[in-house]
Amino acid sequence: MQKQLQEQIERLKKAGATYVDARWYPVEEANYLMMWNGNLKATTSSRESGVGIRALYKGAWGFSASSDMSNVGALFDKAFDNARVAAERVTFPVRLAEKEAIQASFSSPNRIDPFAVPLADKISFLKAMDEKLDQAGVAQRVCELIFMRKQIVYIDSEGSEIEKTIIEVFPSIEVMGLDAQGEMHSRKFKPARIGDTRGWETVDMQMFTENADRIVKEMNEVRTAEDCPKDDRSVILLPGIMFLQTHETIGHALELDRILGYELGFAGGSFVTLNDFGNLQYGSSKLTARADATLPNSPGSFGYDDDGVAAQNNLLIDKGILVGAITGRQMVEEANARARRQIFNGSGGTNRATAFYRVPIERMTNINIDPGEDGSLEDIIKNTEKGIILDGDKSWSIGSNREQFHFATDIGWLVEDGRVTNVVKNSTYKGETVKFYNSLSAVGDQSTWQVRYVDNCGKGQPNQIMQLGHGVPVCRFDNVRIGE
Amino acid sequence: MKEQILQTLCELRAYALSKNIEAKFFYHEEDSYLMRFANSAISLNTNEHLIRLDISVYDDRKRASYELITDLHKLEEMKQGVDIAAEMVKHAMPLNYQPTVPTFAESFADETGFDSALAEISNEERLAYFNKAVEGLETDDIKLSGIFSCGANIIAQINTRSEHTQYFKTSDAQVSIVLSHSTLKWEVIAEQSAQKKSELNPSTLHRDLSYLIERYQNDTPQQIPLGRYDIVFGPAALGDLLNIMNWIGFNGGSMKRGFSFINEDQVGTKVFSDKFNLVDDPECLSTFPFQRDFMGLPRKTFPIFDQGVFKGFTWDQDEADEFDAQPTGHTVMHNSLVLNGGDAEVATLEELVAMPRENDVLYIPFLHYMNLVNPSKGLITASSRFGALLLKKDGSVVVPYNVRVTQSLLEIFSDKVAWMSKAQTVNNTSQSYGARNPTAIVVPTFVRVNDLEISHSNSSY
Repeated sequence: MQKQLQEQIERLKKAGATYVDARWYPVEEANYLMMWNGNLKATTSSRESGVGIRALYKGAWGFSASSDMSNVGALFDKAFDNARVAAERVTFPVRLAEKEAIQASFSSPNRIDPFAVPLADKISFLKAMDEKLDQAGVAQRVCELIFMRKQIVYIDSEGSEIEKTIIEVFPSIEVMGLDAQGEMHSRKFKPARIGDTRGWETVDMQMFTENADRIVKEMNEVRTAEDCPKDDRSVILLPGIMFLQTHETIGHALELDRILGYELGFAGGSFVTLNDFGNLQYGSSKLTARADATLPNSPGSFGYDDDGVAAQNNLLIDKGILVGAITGRQMVEEANARARRQIFNGSGGTNRATAFYRVPIERMTNINIDPGEDGSLEDIIKNTEKGIILDGDKSWSIGSNREQFHFATDIGWLVEDGRVTNVVKNSTYKGETVKFYNSLSAVGDQSTWQVRYVDNCGKGQPNQIMQLGHGVPVCRFDNVRIGE
Repeated sequence: MKEQILQTLCELRAYALSKNIEAKFFYHEEDSYLMRFANSAISLNTNEHLIRLDISVYDDRKRASYELITDLHKLEEMKQGVDIAAEMVKHAMPLNYQPTVPTFAESFADETGFDSALAEISNEERLAYFNKAVEGLETDDIKLSGIFSCGANIIAQINTRSEHTQYFKTSDAQVSIVLSHSTLKWEVIAEQSAQKKSELNPSTLHRDLSYLIERYQNDTPQQIPLGRYDIVFGPAALGDLLNIMNWIGFNGGSMKRGFSFINEDQVGTKVFSDKFNLVDDPECLSTFPFQRDFMGLPRKTFPIFDQGVFKGFTWDQDEADEFDAQPTGHTVMHNSLVLNGGDAEVATLEELVAMPRENDVLYIPFLHYMNLVNPSKGLITASSRFGALLLKKDGSVVVPYNVRVTQSLLEIFSDKVAWMSKAQTVNNTSQSYGARNPTAIVVPTFVRVNDLEISHSNSSY
């Protein structure tokens, strides 16, 4: 197949395409198991294969994809034809940043291949967890296992040929219960990164058992708690919500295609402008953020992106100052040209597609916040006069330019004079992005830092779901509106 | 093609029966085209032709499924899928209820929603449509974004309980055009949904965009004060609100699991304004309907709210099996919601602006990034986007920066509803995650709700 793809790439080049690539997925498979209140509602496996072709002609992209490999030539023709029509409306001809021709391979690190584990073992795990969660106060219990494996062969007209095998494992448990007013509350556990591999070993029965007891206990505390007060307080975000805060208001805000207006028709833009790089005080000096696709064992680490560029670790925010973005080959060229200065030195290697039938776009890798020097969670609490500790992603809504946000969390613990007092329910907080990050007053040390996984980040049209990670510490922000 | 698809399904059925496997087969074929615009250029021009086959195998109370992206000439691969699903079901755990396997009493085919002219629309025609819709409106600063998404969808089914088949073929188009200012960052939108080619009318979009551009170009945007406003919601905002209500309002399974703001005791009682009349109407072609559900049940008009009175929950087969309820013909990929129009004689934005008003009125055409804060209370939050206007009571019009609305659906559609327009609009709510599934909701073009709180007001875009 590789030879056939190479020949077709050469054929399109001779026909006038300035760049062509093919992503062939010999096989992509997934396994989804979901038990709800003891009922195995989903026992699903899936398998797909196919190829996606991207062609650049007179500065415009064309794309075509199919699972039917019987006439690959026609597929290349379709991509080229789509590019030809797109070339009739070009305002800034696509140019691609320089890169090396790479022959390489990448495999996700895992000790135990989850696809080699018998189905019966997976169901036994769910059953054990379901029984563990079946406790007083719990009205709904949900246990899920998601496994994915993608084989990707990437070939381009610049001499690169890269083979990747990506394995993902996403286990989770959740409990829900009603309070006296009939309102539903939930608490969930999705494990943070454990060690340097993510095979079946991620599904650690002892860890899940301990956390099952914890989430039931906390959910029951929420059920009988008072409502979160409407107040201005310091908010202390645990990794279970800090990852999402980072995702929505640093990650998406710094995708270069959004900044350049390529997502305005749907997902939105960004308050960040090209003039802001090197200048904008995005946050307090305690804030250092990076896009690190080299972090071992995370969905945000994939070896090489779908432009054939090697994974990198790039600063986004350096001690509060905006210095970088989430970038691919096309966008860095356009950004530098539009800004009339060299903001970006080549692609950041973040272009990824969710499947063979989708086109690569800028996606988050591991968008991380560096640990700080404000000690442990206990230290931060001790130094907080009036605050609230928040955890668990219940709801999130962000302005179209990522300029403001509203989050609800699963649980809140009020803090008064350096002590945790009581649990509250229906906790929410809201803010304006730049003002919020500039109120960052404490960043926890390495002991508080966790890598949280995201298995369902949506972006683009046609929509694409992507997997990624966030390494985040406990963070405290001051004067934040809560309870609305 | 239809014969080949059905023949393939018959062969798969025969294969399953030969191995004594109880199975159902769900075939989905899409031919999708998407022309995407950004920065006044075509940023992406794609097509995907994909065939998905979902094989579900049953063994009394156990079930398992295997999905594959495949091709009609890969019959052996599909048969292997049957074997894999059959092997999986051996290890599955029995449900605590008996899942119903569909039994089609007769074969059914529906191609009334298919228009070959729309399905075969060319690249050049898509581009010409966009060029006409924005003719004269783009400048060096005002840039075009948006999509022209169209395609054809085929769904076909068979199972081992009967030899009968179901076959659905539809065509659809979703057009969304955004014009935005590259430095000032305001943005306006016009949208269109089509089930057949003759419904595509770029002139309508040009008219709407021209009006908004005139406002946004010449007015200085303002941060409006927090507080309570009379709000007129446009069709996209209403479509989003009803979409979320579909999930946490009248869905029987959600209610039983505690995710609904309506409970069983409220059937037959008044929940919303008496102006609120919502039906699921499988006869309404604009909603890309299914006239049979995937269990073979004929779908009829299903009243959900009649003059604000809640008429009953919708139940798909699996939730009905689990909670011992009667299925209501809602085992489908999407409902066909129609919110009836009211009596207000207002059909266009110009007419809305010209209406006399005793208070300032905030017009919100679009709610961005809606999410659930508290499903039990129906509490949602979202921000305005794409061409909001503050219509002052003195007749003047102000362009506001975006605002956030955090409100309960119970309050939004309560007796605070002042009026609904007689005119209706088809709001295309299709998402392009996974398999193509064109969806649309028919809503009054405008609905005015008095005295709703704005919880955040931007100081810029």
